[in-house]
Amino acid sequence: MELLKINNLNKKFDDKYILKDINLTISNGKIIGLLGKNGAGKTTLIKIINDLLTPTSGEILIKGNKVGVETKKIISYLPERTYLNKQMKVKEILNYFADFYENFDIQKAKKLLEDLDLDINQNLSKMSKGMQEKVGLVLVMSREADLYILDEPLGGVDPATRDYILDTILSNFNENASVIISTHLISDIERILDEVIFIDNGSIAIHSNTDELRTKENASIDEIFRRMFKC
Amino acid sequence: MLIKLLKYDLKYMIKNMSVFYILAIFFAILSRLLSLPEQSIMLKIIHKISSGCMIAMIANIIINGMIRSWVRFRDSLFKDESYLTHTLPVTKNELYDSKFIQTLIFFFVGFAVVLLSIFIAYYTPDTWNTLKDQLNLITTGFNMSTIFFIMMSIILIFLELFNAIQCGLLGIIIGYAKNNNKSAFSMLFGFVFYLISQLLVLGLVFVYGIFDSSVMELFKSATISIDVNAFKTLAIVSSTLYLSIIIIMKITCKRLLNKGVNIE
Repeated sequence: MELLKINNLNKKFDDKYILKDINLTISNGKIIGLLGKNGAGKTTLIKIINDLLTPTSGEILIKGNKVGVETKKIISYLPERTYLNKQMKVKEILNYFADFYENFDIQKAKKLLEDLDLDINQNLSKMSKGMQEKVGLVLVMSREADLYILDEPLGGVDPATRDYILDTILSNFNENASVIISTHLISDIERILDEVIFIDNGSIAIHSNTDELRTKENASIDEIFRRMFKC
Repeated sequence: MLIKLLKYDLKYMIKNMSVFYILAIFFAILSRLLSLPEQSIMLKIIHKISSGCMIAMIANIIINGMIRSWVRFRDSLFKDESYLTHTLPVTKNELYDSKFIQTLIFFFVGFAVVLLSIFIAYYTPDTWNTLKDQLNLITTGFNMSTIFFIMMSIILIFLELFNAIQCGLLGIIIGYAKNNNKSAFSMLFGFVFYLISQLLVLGLVFVYGIFDSSVMELFKSATISIDVNAFKTLAIVSSTLYLSIIIIMKITCKRLLNKGVNIE
């Protein structure tokens, strides 16, 4: 069965279409790069999958279920912004996740936070933006989810930490799960991608296996992206 | 899941409101300690300041409690924190019910703290007897029991304030469904719903008055010398109407949330 299936999805704000007739199928065990220029519709698509936006028309099925309680149990989502309650301490947030997500592994989260030298007794408001983003990533990757959706996970961190984050992603999801990563930093993540989806003006321009696309175009994904979007 | 949501909503309110509860009781105790029959001018001044602070805290408990309920609802369901709230494996109904019950609980807690503070600061056998006499005077005049009068007054005040909170919540849901000026629209819609609910209650009481001449007298008569039963009927009818409006608004809020949200 497909993990994620999107049929004829449209989203418009006022009279402008942000997403136009999106059709997409994602199967298990893949790492997919969701790529596109600013305002192309990447975050809009991700937010609809996560029930943060209501589609104008179309259908989204995750493991055969429409977006709702059942799909939220199996999707682990990292938004592009800091979304955690800053009044809370890290350990309180860990307990919060453990309370609501049955598939959250609190011991794994504590271990990852320790590896990153993050103090679980520290208040989130006392942490830098980069540290808060690391906490967010640890929370998301400590769930045994079927689909991980990471919106700009590398945005606010230094190049050294980027490698650590990518390694964390690679070593913390099971083989049957899939990961969708939306980013502008293509060269950083290219090495881990199985598939790429290029979004342009709200439509899917390319959805292809990474190796096949590289061979066909005789260029790296980064070069193909720059060529396609004339950067 | 509702219990878990409620646990975190209550924790938030305790964190933000407990300081006002503690301060109200603290100033009440201070006022009590300083209310000695013979005291210096300086102690009298401190007593007045302390009483003023207690009254300010009581006002704060009511006003801040209402504002905190709206802010918590907005932040949790429509601001950055909503990225977590809406991705929790819970229904939209549970999200709404949790906020609704939290508001209800803090309303009662706030009310209890206000009564306790007033009791601590001002209770004496004399003031208690004066209050009882005043209540007896009113209730005898209105031909009703003291308990009924107190309960009716509390229920009416509670429903009136809760109606205002509910209007605010509905205003936030509709305001945040707009693409621009979400905060401004929230306040505008909340205020408009409050006005409509008040006019609706007044209008329906008037309609009730067509069938009950004693109630109609409240609209026609310029003097207070009208049938005392009219006040009793008015209180019961108004309470029923407020309760109906609150229930209708609660159902509307849930339906709108279930239609889906559009988070920026």
